Amino acid sequence: MTAYLASLATLAAIFAILAVTLNFMVGYAGIFSVAHAVFFGLGAYAGAQVALHLVPDALAACAVAALIAGGLSLCLALPALRVRGEYFVAASLGLQMMALTLFSEAKGLTGGLGGLIGIPPPRLFGFAVGALPLSLAALALILLAIAAMARGSFGRTLQSIRDAESAAEALGKNVAVAKALAVAFACAGAGVAGALFALHMQFVNVESFTLEQSVLVMAMVIVGGTGTLLGPVVGAVLLLSLPAGLAFLPFIPPTEVGAVQQIIYGLAMTLLMIFRPAGLVGDLSRGRSEA
Amino acid sequence: MNRPASMDPPLRCEGLARSFGGVQAVAGVSLALPAGQVTALVGPNGAGKTTVFNLITGNLRADAGVALLRGQSILGLKPWQVARRGVARSFQDLRLFTHMSVRDNVLAATERSAWFWQPGTGRRAREAAAEAALEATGLATLATARAVDLAYAERKFLSMARILAAQAEIWLLDEPASGLDLASRLRFGQLLKDARARGVAICLIEHNLDVVAELADRIAFLDQGRVLAEGEPQAILRDPQLAAIYFGDRPQEVA
Ligand SMILES: Nc1ncnc2c1ncn2[C@@H]1O[C@H](COP(=O)(O)OP(=O)(O)O)[C@@H](O)[C@H]1O
Ligand SMILES: [Mg+2]
Repeated sequence: MTAYLASLATLAAIFAILAVTLNFMVGYAGIFSVAHAVFFGLGAYAGAQVALHLVPDALAACAVAALIAGGLSLCLALPALRVRGEYFVAASLGLQMMALTLFSEAKGLTGGLGGLIGIPPPRLFGFAVGALPLSLAALALILLAIAAMARGSFGRTLQSIRDAESAAEALGKNVAVAKALAVAFACAGAGVAGALFALHMQFVNVESFTLEQSVLVMAMVIVGGTGTLLGPVVGAVLLLSLPAGLAFLPFIPPTEVGAVQQIIYGLAMTLLMIFRPAGLVGDLSRGRSEA
Repeated sequence: MNRPASMDPPLRCEGLARSFGGVQAVAGVSLALPAGQVTALVGPNGAGKTTVFNLITGNLRADAGVALLRGQSILGLKPWQVARRGVARSFQDLRLFTHMSVRDNVLAATERSAWFWQPGTGRRAREAAAEAALEATGLATLATARAVDLAYAERKFLSMARILAAQAEIWLLDEPASGLDLASRLRFGQLLKDARARGVAICLIEHNLDVVAELADRIAFLDQGRVLAEGEPQAILRDPQLAAIYFGDRPQEVA
């Protein structure tokens, strides 16, 4: 039971990393992407390969994952960010669908549909460490970094672009570079989450990196509160523990858990967006449409 | 009120032109903005005033013409590049950073670089510039309010505070005083006079001819994309032909 809870907590921390980094794009920079799971996947495969073939060191796995996910996102974002917001969402959707096929086909790197198995558990400088403290530490570091950026000039630049791109440009801000940096940081963070996920599960396959997963992370951000520091963490914990909680309810037959979960998700999201449009942690006045 | 124009106006446009489909919005506009002078850009709605700004700042591509900033061409540059060369502009529809605090709106105007590192000025100097801009625009007590929560006149002044904080040599102001009450208009006038005294070259789009008469050193009268007349305010404002164009078909414009 405690092992189960620890595993759940580790997953919550990993998904919280995904949610806070996606929120950095959506909430601060106003860039909507439904491809966050792609960079989660890139990080997971990269981290798994490092652990399998180089060293089972968590730091090395995370660093390589961050570099690959962040670097690739930069290459993709620079051309894609030239289009207007709505089109970027469409571009990210295309990327998500394409990446899933690539993940399934690039068997040498990803193990194809079967995935990568036998990934060694995480070590740090030669010592075995738990995935839970590791994930919590990574989450804390990323939250600190985001808090620092949000309060500094970079955060202000992103928020100004989100609120009025042309006015930000008229003040001398290179919008394309600022957006690309925001995307690279967020996707590097997703890569770290992926590496931790691989080390924790000791097995990864393409099913964890689907469009559904991207949408789930987006839901975590929106439910918790876009543009807030801790909202996405709340959203991640909530949406992850919901299915676990449902599984314990005796009156739901195990075969129906999935369907019930979908209904509750949908209902909760709809009600939330009506009564707290800015999310659980968000400022009440904010999600409302303005005159 | 008139100050001697410096020998070489820091911003000079010649023959700027731009059409949209069949509409010739700007048809060969030449304009010089001398340092330490307020040049009012006056003309009926749709005359092409805002488009002239958009051509100078790189928001729109010019079909023809030149725009020289201290002798160097700025046509073809991106808006952020023009801004970094010292041209600040305001927007007719303000475009405030709605969900940011008043102070952050102004601080953002002091920061150019996209990254953490802000070359040139130190953080203290930028914060001081922001505070000074808030003080000058009367927004100091509202520094923590969000832009979206401000009243109409306060929003106009926040737009001006951003311009002030940007510390540019050239200001392009698109109807910054429209809809202001008398007290606010006086405060706005003082902002402009102070900037003029510091040597800022100001171009002011303004419909209220009282404001123009009070603040402008020169007037350029624009109609259907052309400068019909340019010169001393008194001469332009008394010209019966221009008055006929200005008041003729749209008398309701002058509030
Ligand atoms: N981006 C644009 N696309 C199409 N037409 C435009 C655009 N901007 C301005 N125009 C047209 O150009 C003319 C001049 O507009 P504008 O410069 O906004 O006038 P003013 O600021 O003097 O009221 C108008 O006929 C307007 O409809
Ligand atoms: Mg206009």
